[in-house]
Amino acid sequence: MSYLDLSISEMKKAIDEGKVTPTSLAKESFERAHKYQKDINSFVTLTEKNALNQLENLDSVEDNPLKGIPYALKDNFSTKGILSTASSNILKDYVPFFNATSVNKLYSKGAILIGKTVLDELAMGGTGTTGHTGPVKNPWDKSRLIGGSSAGSASSVAAGIVPFSIGSDTGDSIRKPAAYGGIVGYKPTYGLVSRFGLFAFASSLDHVGCFTRNVSDVAYVIDAIKGKDEKDMTSLPDDNIKFSEHLDGNVKGKKLFYLKEIVNRDNYKDSMDEELDEILNNFDEIIDKCKNLGMEVEEVDFDKEILKAIFPTYITISCAEATSNNSNLTGIPFGPRSKGKSIDEVMFNSRTEGFSELIKRRFVLGSYILQKENQEKLFLNAGRIRRIIVEKMTELFKEYDGMILPASGSIAPTFRSETIDKLSDRYLLLENHMAIGNFGGFPSITIPCGFVKNMPIGLSITSGVKKDLDVLNIAYALESTMNYKNQIAGGVNDER
Amino acid sequence: MMNDKYEVTIGLEVHCEVKTNTKMFSPSPNNYNETPNENISEVDMGFPGILPIANMEAVKKSIMMAMALNCKLPNYMYFDRKNYYYPDLPKGYQITQATEPVGVNGYINVYVNDEVKKIDIHDIHLEEDTASLDHYETYSLIDYNRSGIPLLETVTEPCIHSADEALAFLDSLRRIFLYTGISEARTDRGQMRCDVNISLAPKNSEKLGTKVEMKNINSFSNVKDAILYEIKRQSEILDEGGTIIMETRRYDDTTCKTYRMREKVEGVDYKYYVEPNIPPYKITDKLINELREKLPMLQFDRIQKYMKDYELSLYDASILTKNIETALYFEEVISKGIDPKMAANWINTRILGHVNKEEISINDCTFTTDDLVELITYINKGTISSKQAKDVFYKCIDENKKPSVVIKENNMEQITNTDEILSVIKEVINENMELALSYDPKKGRTVDFFVGQIMKKTRGKANPKAAMDLIKEELMKLKDKS
Amino acid sequence: MISKELLKSYANKLMFDMNDDEYETLAKEFDVILKQMDLIGEIEEIKGVKPMTFPFELDDVEYRNDEDTRTVSYLDALSNAKDIKGREVKVPKVVD
Repeated sequence: MSYLDLSISEMKKAIDEGKVTPTSLAKESFERAHKYQKDINSFVTLTEKNALNQLENLDSVEDNPLKGIPYALKDNFSTKGILSTASSNILKDYVPFFNATSVNKLYSKGAILIGKTVLDELAMGGTGTTGHTGPVKNPWDKSRLIGGSSAGSASSVAAGIVPFSIGSDTGDSIRKPAAYGGIVGYKPTYGLVSRFGLFAFASSLDHVGCFTRNVSDVAYVIDAIKGKDEKDMTSLPDDNIKFSEHLDGNVKGKKLFYLKEIVNRDNYKDSMDEELDEILNNFDEIIDKCKNLGMEVEEVDFDKEILKAIFPTYITISCAEATSNNSNLTGIPFGPRSKGKSIDEVMFNSRTEGFSELIKRRFVLGSYILQKENQEKLFLNAGRIRRIIVEKMTELFKEYDGMILPASGSIAPTFRSETIDKLSDRYLLLENHMAIGNFGGFPSITIPCGFVKNMPIGLSITSGVKKDLDVLNIAYALESTMNYKNQIAGGVNDER
Repeated sequence: MMNDKYEVTIGLEVHCEVKTNTKMFSPSPNNYNETPNENISEVDMGFPGILPIANMEAVKKSIMMAMALNCKLPNYMYFDRKNYYYPDLPKGYQITQATEPVGVNGYINVYVNDEVKKIDIHDIHLEEDTASLDHYETYSLIDYNRSGIPLLETVTEPCIHSADEALAFLDSLRRIFLYTGISEARTDRGQMRCDVNISLAPKNSEKLGTKVEMKNINSFSNVKDAILYEIKRQSEILDEGGTIIMETRRYDDTTCKTYRMREKVEGVDYKYYVEPNIPPYKITDKLINELREKLPMLQFDRIQKYMKDYELSLYDASILTKNIETALYFEEVISKGIDPKMAANWINTRILGHVNKEEISINDCTFTTDDLVELITYINKGTISSKQAKDVFYKCIDENKKPSVVIKENNMEQITNTDEILSVIKEVINENMELALSYDPKKGRTVDFFVGQIMKKTRGKANPKAAMDLIKEELMKLKDKS
Repeated sequence: MISKELLKSYANKLMFDMNDDEYETLAKEFDVILKQMDLIGEIEEIKGVKPMTFPFELDDVEYRNDEDTRTVSYLDALSNAKDIKGREVKVPKVVD
């Protein structure tokens, strides 16, 4: 048992009581990071020198729950003086001269940056396998991926290297890997945390969020990074509420719902397997747990065809926005610059050499979607579906305090898994519903809720805009009924 | 004249930088800076993670301009992205307004020579400027100072039919920018730039001819020359039975010719879509009213008012209204009871003559509206003559003194006092009694002689009219007595 | 299926290229994704719906006051550029 395995508040208490120092915590964190790096590949860069600097100046930081706590940061956040690659060759040498707002806030709180974590290239992907420094592995089973795009941020917390990490979530980029990694992943209401300095993937869907090993730690982290930012017009005014002070687990009388079409076994007759069966059984148990806590749980119908359109809608909007957002990567004012006789050749070659194939395919798709002749049918229709879904959900959230669903219909896939049929109900319904949270900017969390085939599975809880506290409280109450709080991946811990 | 055969159709796209403290989407300073990359921030250079923060002042000014151009305003301020790759566009897209520009379907009236012409405005939209490229023998350098400066693009309908009309429109547009303070509109600093679309078709033809585009012309005289050159070039081609190619051309002001840059690809697809980082801003009635109140009466309306209410000529009214400072100067003077024509004369000849010679603003002219009112009042009262007034004016300017002071110091006050003049008259009659006695009212020469004598004795200070009236009276008295 | 030539022209407009195999993969991927897109078109309810471009409407949006200015030094701004001359980013000659 190490102090590094504790929750943020326990760790802070240990520091305050003089049982451990921030320096020794950071030291152990770096040791673990180095030790697991070869196996799970969480990090692009470890920031030892920077951490030393922070530790030296820690005395000047006002006391707060994150003071001296080590953390990891997804490598698509801008960090002054520290390599920020977005796990892409096109930014492999980029050292920003400014900090993301959330990074600045964490510096001011004295949280110690341990390193920048691997993601799917430019955050466009859900496997954690496409980063330019190689795939991230799942600490629970190294033959499996942990999911993405915030793969390294998930694996570093799951492996116990850091008690929390920062990620970004555009479709389910925090919540899916959290579920696959047996930890907590949170995406707050859109705008609650400033996006300034987060490398844009799809601006209208991008959220900054975090990974922790328990729900109350989420509250501490979000408390530290939320708030109105003059550098982000879409950031929300801070109502000065500290989530950590309002987590009481009092959920009696709360009303929850789940979407029948997503957990209806009839929809998966052809693809039913032991894994899915166990996941759906687990979900039934969760419903009972909710009821035992005094909450009501109701089944709600939702047009299945619209739910099946979530993934294409997500792909359409995100690829279109991504094509435009990444047009700044040309090798001219920053980034590797390829040779060329003309300026056009230079930009062309820099982009050809800088992006991987997958990214290029997404860009071509995104650009196709935005073409004048296709916009109406593709881009604008996707926007229409988005509105239909969001308005229906918003209506539901007026009546209910939250929506619960299994985070995924499977456990973390192996690296060798055969490709999934992307037109199947199982894929379209079960693997993509968490993007609803991004469409409407709804606060959404996944918490570990069981094991299937010795791999963790997660529960998704989502609520209405600005109902972050409801989501956290429901998650906090449910967490207390299960034994997965503060769990660290057995795989690495046992050194097996 | 070639225009007899062909109908010329011109549409203009005018870019004008908006005067603000900071840039359109970043807090970098918006001021002209010769030092490269001095007015820049990460936002202007499109670094990963940046977000645009829309400038309220630029938004307000764009709404004002839309009002000045009689445009329809949208309910919300929306921005879109225009996606294309060019080294002067660091983000790879320009934030502009495509779907809901700040103004559509507007017009302005302009004087083309003596006639009123209505120019229809297709739309006006707010966007950001690009970086500037400096070209050298084998390389180019990028200066991001200009990147992100707020820009208003005014697009006319293809309703302009001559170089004169184009010029009249550009001049009026520029005056509106200056009147409202929305832009300094300095062409010498590239703050106002113009794209010209021009086509020729046989007179009375139903269809427009093939459009040729000339981009980024940076002075009005160049716009005129470029249009005249294109009319000539295209007419010659058409005369010979040739066809005009749809293309983009460049105007070279050293040769006064246009040169082909590239064939215009039919409809480049800029893949416009809503800028997701800028929430729509509701344009409330309160804001509209607040801005409408700030909008001054513009040149065209002032010209009309001056002609109608003050019976000024179009020429005088045009000069007085060229800039708002002069118009306000004029209006202040006449508000103090001065005859408008007299005020107009004085301002257009003397004052503007001085102001233009010194290249200063009328507001910086030491001869204030009060001074002009004072001076004209002296003339009207007969205290000084018009001829003297001119001298007083220049002395006021040269010595930075009030007219009253100059008149007093130079002893220029005319003698209007009847007793004083009468005593002089008595003297000159006594000295020339013989001539006085031979006075014949039908002959003016005697009176002229006596007036001359009076002026001589008073060293020109006697009011000539008073002197003349009085001498006539005295001579008649003498005649009646005898 | 969408032709490789067309896909290549799209890619080139985005200032990059791919190899033949990659275009082939892309063509297949387009096939699947366009089929998924068709799912959207088949939904009757979308007629007349205004496309959504922001997650939710913000009331009291405030635009920036045009007051305080902030700049970064050219040294910082150019620190990542691969070729600079004086205070500017240097690139091969740009010709229209």
